[in-house]
Amino acid sequence: MDRKEFYKRLWVDESLAEVTGYNPYYLSVNSGLNERLLVNGCKMIDLASNNYLGLATDTRVKQAAIEAVQKYGVSLCGTPIATGYIDLFQRLEEELSSFVGLERTVILPSCYQANNGLFSCLAGSEDLIVVDRLVHSSLIQGIKAAGCKIRPFLHNNLNHLEGILQRSSSYRQVFVVTESVFSTEGSLAPFKEIVELCEKYGAMPIIDDSHGIGVLGKSGQGILEEQKIEGYKGIYTASLGKALANSGGMISGEKRVIDFLKYYCSHLVYSTALSPAVLAGISAVLDIIRVEFAGIKHRLNSYQRQIHESLSEGGFEVAACEAPINSIETGSKEVTFILAQKLYDKGILSTPFIEPSVPLNQGRVRLIAGAGLSQGTVNEAVAIIKRIGAS
Amino acid sequence: MNIEDRVLNSVKGVLDKRPEVTLDSRLLEDLLVDSLDKLMILSAIEDEFGLEIEEKFADVHTVKDIVVKLKARGY
Ligand SMILES: Cc1ncc(COP(=O)(O)O)c(C=O)c1O
Repeated sequence: MDRKEFYKRLWVDESLAEVTGYNPYYLSVNSGLNERLLVNGCKMIDLASNNYLGLATDTRVKQAAIEAVQKYGVSLCGTPIATGYIDLFQRLEEELSSFVGLERTVILPSCYQANNGLFSCLAGSEDLIVVDRLVHSSLIQGIKAAGCKIRPFLHNNLNHLEGILQRSSSYRQVFVVTESVFSTEGSLAPFKEIVELCEKYGAMPIIDDSHGIGVLGKSGQGILEEQKIEGYKGIYTASLGKALANSGGMISGEKRVIDFLKYYCSHLVYSTALSPAVLAGISAVLDIIRVEFAGIKHRLNSYQRQIHESLSEGGFEVAACEAPINSIETGSKEVTFILAQKLYDKGILSTPFIEPSVPLNQGRVRLIAGAGLSQGTVNEAVAIIKRIGAS
Repeated sequence: MNIEDRVLNSVKGVLDKRPEVTLDSRLLEDLLVDSLDKLMILSAIEDEFGLEIEEKFADVHTVKDIVVKLKARGY
């Protein structure tokens, strides 16, 4: 092997950062998600993280994590099938199942891992996976790894989906995969209708509710509650690192599916279990949601509206959002970076998306104003956005 | 409908948000097709012509190239 050639191929294209003079990736963060976030030593308003409910630095959650560390230490140094399955782990599985209203749950180190590992366990070469064209990379990678036929459908397009399902009777199994909230768009899947189509054509629905859990529904239980989907017989995944403010990924569904995954999903079986602090942290967040969700959600919605109005007033093209997300349609990757930089220079941290995270030339800058921010901070953000728009 | 129109319609049907699709449109440069778009195009062609496409169409650059491939298969 020619090592020189090997290293030459490992080339990172940084031309965009050079042209725009700004690289939004791997910024050095020097604090937690407080009222102000320290980035490269500067105080910033955090409109970038997925800390929807503002619970990542909540005192009660921190306390729960500390107590877990004191009782169990920092790690069980084993996978869940071995020493990692502490009582906290098992209890959290039960709590999460009851939270989303499904029979059983397994917890993985991340939802990326959950989505990566799920499909190769359940599907094979005789099967078809029909998937929304805009789903997250973790789902796409997982689906590709299953080695089955893949048919993407146009984003949230029920007619296109049904057309595909009508012509899919020759497969052993058909899965329909989508997300609840498309976080780069802020759009919501018509999941109730998708579940009905799955019933009609004998397909198995799979939903990634990463941006819906803890956010959607009257009590924060996610997409199933939001769209009043009862007796859901499909599969459900979600990240525990967004509204639930910790880390990890869950897969929920019928007992038979989850029992199977517990023994056959390598991404679960061969990876060190979530640490005690995180398990206790998630549990504490669920307790807070149970009691305080209405108030938190009210703030979240109000902040979303205020940011949305300031963007419209500033003349930005904002996607119609059905979730507490504001997504500015910037188009080219250059324009996307430049806007993110302007916001950064004025003290707002945002999330720019360019291809391949979004389709080519459909760049976005996403703003999430978490409920943990104060009204004063949101007022400041609003003023900055209007000023940038006017300039 | 001739084969060209059938291919054009199939491609247009799955490429929303694209300005214009002609036989000479280049998939990557003009239509900004990514790997998922390509899968959608292949699926649409499979449905339209009732065939199974196993290969990845790696050497297809323009819409016309798809027509050529299909004609080579006897369509
Ligand atoms: C829709 C979706 N699924 C899965 C993930 C991955 O979740 P995690 O960070 O838990 O790996 C993300 C996070 O970016 C996401 O947005």
